[in-house]
Amino acid sequence: MFEQLFDSALVESVVRALIPILLAALGGMICDRAGVFQISLEGMMLVGAFAAVAGSYLATSATVGTVIAMAAGSAFSLVLAYGAVSRQGDPIVIGVAVNLLALGLTSFLLPQLFGVRGVFQDPRVDGLNRFPIPFLSDIPIVGPAIFRSTIPGYLAMLAVPALWVFLFRTPIGLRLRGVGERPVSAETLGVNPTQYKYAAVVASGMLCGLAGAQLALGNVVQFSENMSSGRGWIAVVAVMLGRAHPAGVLGASALFGAAEGLGFRLQGNGLPVQITDALPYVATLVALALARKRFKRILELTAA
Amino acid sequence: MAETLRASTNRVLRNPVAFSIVLSLLIGAAIIAATGTNPLLAYSEMVRGALTGSGLRNTVSRMIPIVGMALAISIPFRAGVINLGGEGQMVIGGLAGTLAAIYLPLPPVLVIPLALVAGMVAGALWALLPAIGQTALKLPILISSLLLNYPARALTGYMVRFPFADPTVTSSSTVPVPESNRIPKLALFDGVSASLVLLILLLIGVALFNLRTVPGYETRMTGLNSRFSRYGGVAVDRQVVWVMLASGGIAGMIGTHLVVGETYRFLDGDLVVSGFAWSGLLVALLARHRPGPMLAAGAFFAALQIGGLAMQRNVNVPWQIAQVLQAVVIIMIAGRFVLKARRETAAVIEGETTVTGEV
Repeated sequence: MFEQLFDSALVESVVRALIPILLAALGGMICDRAGVFQISLEGMMLVGAFAAVAGSYLATSATVGTVIAMAAGSAFSLVLAYGAVSRQGDPIVIGVAVNLLALGLTSFLLPQLFGVRGVFQDPRVDGLNRFPIPFLSDIPIVGPAIFRSTIPGYLAMLAVPALWVFLFRTPIGLRLRGVGERPVSAETLGVNPTQYKYAAVVASGMLCGLAGAQLALGNVVQFSENMSSGRGWIAVVAVMLGRAHPAGVLGASALFGAAEGLGFRLQGNGLPVQITDALPYVATLVALALARKRFKRILELTAA
Repeated sequence: MAETLRASTNRVLRNPVAFSIVLSLLIGAAIIAATGTNPLLAYSEMVRGALTGSGLRNTVSRMIPIVGMALAISIPFRAGVINLGGEGQMVIGGLAGTLAAIYLPLPPVLVIPLALVAGMVAGALWALLPAIGQTALKLPILISSLLLNYPARALTGYMVRFPFADPTVTSSSTVPVPESNRIPKLALFDGVSASLVLLILLLIGVALFNLRTVPGYETRMTGLNSRFSRYGGVAVDRQVVWVMLASGGIAGMIGTHLVVGETYRFLDGDLVVSGFAWSGLLVALLARHRPGPMLAAGAFFAALQIGGLAMQRNVNVPWQIAQVLQAVVIIMIAGRFVLKARRETAAVIEGETTVTGEV
C-alpha cells in the first residue's frame, strides 16, 4: 500500500499541483506586504489560463501564450488596483466582483471566440515543454519532479529565494514593506504608497497569469470554464498560513499540492472522484483550523 | 424640451447606481462589438427576450433564486459577516429538500413544507460550520465559507452518483420528485412558482425584522462598529452564529425550491452552473442589503440573464455577457462611492495604523 502510494509519479503530481498555487500565492504575498487586500488571485489566474490558451492557439507557441497570459493577468489586475487603491473602494467587494468578472468574461469569450462551450481543446494549442536539467533530473524520486519542469515551474521555484532577497535585502523591498506596515511613515520619507501598491497588484497579476499558463498549458493543454476552480482561494489561504513569508508560502503551497496530488493518486486507486476532488479544500480548512490566530488582519477587515 | 432632457440626463449621471448601469452597458456594448456582433441588435434581443412572450415568466422565475440568495447573503452582511458560502449552503439544502420530497411517505400537504424545512435545516447546518470556525477558532468566515463550497459540491455529487442515483439515467441525478410533491405553480405570470409568495413574505419579514426589532437593530450596529456593539452589550459571537444559520437556512430553502419547484431532479452541478448564489451576492451589494431595492435589483439582474439567454439563442452571443455586466456594475459602484458601512470599518483600521505610524 505504502509503496503503491509514494513514488516518483506521486511526487511529480504533487509538484505539478503545487506550482500554480505557489505562483499565485507569491503574488498574494507581495500584495499583502504592500498592504493591499488581495482576494482576486482566482480571477486573475482564470484570465491568465484563458489568455495562455488563446495566445498559444493564435501563435501556435506556448511561449507566446505564456507571455500573453502574464500581460493579460497584469492588465486585468489594474481593475482591482484602480478600484481599491486609487478610488479607495472596498477591497473585499471589488475583489469578489473582479473574480466574478473574470468568470463571466472567460465564459463569454470561450464560445464567442472559439465557438465551443465548456472546454476548448485544439491541436494548434501548443503545450509547455519540459526542460530536464542534466544530472539533477536523474536523482531518484524528487529529480524528475523538480528538475524536469516547465519554464513557469522553474520560475516559481526561483521566485521563492528571489522574492525573499527582494523583500528583505533590497531598499525597494524595504520600502514596499514600509508602505504596507506604516503607510504614513513611508510617505513622510518620500515613498509614494500608491505607486508601490500598484506595482504590487500588477506583479500579482503577472504571477497569476503565469500560474494560469502553467494550469492551462502545462498541467493540461486546454481551457475549461472556471478551470482555476478555487486554487486562487487556496493561494489566499497559503499567504495567510505562510505569514506572507516566501518560505512559509512555499510550505503552505506544498501542503495543498500534496493534498491534490495524493487525491489524484487515491482516485487512481479506486476512490470516487467526488471524494478526492474535495481533498485539497478539506486539507486547507484543516490547516486553517490548526494554525489559528494568524488572521487578525482579515478578521479586522471583516469586522468581527 | 432640450433643457429638461439635459436636466434629467444630468440627474441620471449624478446618481451613482444609474451612472454605473449606463456605463457598464456601454462597456458591454464595446465587448460585444469587439467580438463581432452589432451591440444594438444584441441588446434589443436581450430586452425582447426578457420581457415579451414567455420571457416575462422566466424573468420572474429567475428572480426567485436571485433575490432569495441576495436575502440570504444580506442578513450576515448587515452584521459585517461576509458569507461567500451561499452556493454550498444552497446545494446541500437543495439535496436534503429534494430527498425529503422524494422519499417522505406523507401526504403532499405535509411533504412540501417539510421538504422546505429539510432544505433550511441542512443549509443552516452547513453554514454553522464556518460560523463555529470563526467564533471558536478565529477562522475568517470569508475564507472558510468559500472553501466549503467545494466539498459541498463534491458531497452532493457523490450522493447523487452513488447512494441516491437514478439507475435509469446516465447522468448523476436523483429520480424525479413525484408530481404530487412538487411546489405548485401560480396562475400569475403564466405559471410562476408558488415559491414567489414565500419569497415576498420572507422579504417583508426581513424588512420588518431589520427596522422594527431589537436584534435587527443590533445586527446593523455590529456591522457599523463591532467593538462598540460588543461594548454596548451585544453578544457578537452569538450573533455571528444566528446570522449564519439564518443565511444558510434561506439558501437551503432556495436550493430546495430550485429542484422541488423547478427542475424536479437534483442533477449534479445544475444549481451551481447558473451562479445564482453569486448573482444574489451582487444584488445584495447593489441594493445595500435593503429588501425593497433588492427586489428591484434582483428583477434587473434576472432580466439581464433571461434576456442574455434569448440573445444567445437568437443572435448567438453568449449569455455570460450578463455576468460581465453584473460584475462591472458592482465594481463601478464600489469604486465610485464606497458602500458606507464597510468603508467606515476600513477607515477605523486605517486610522489605527496612522496613529502607530506617527509615534
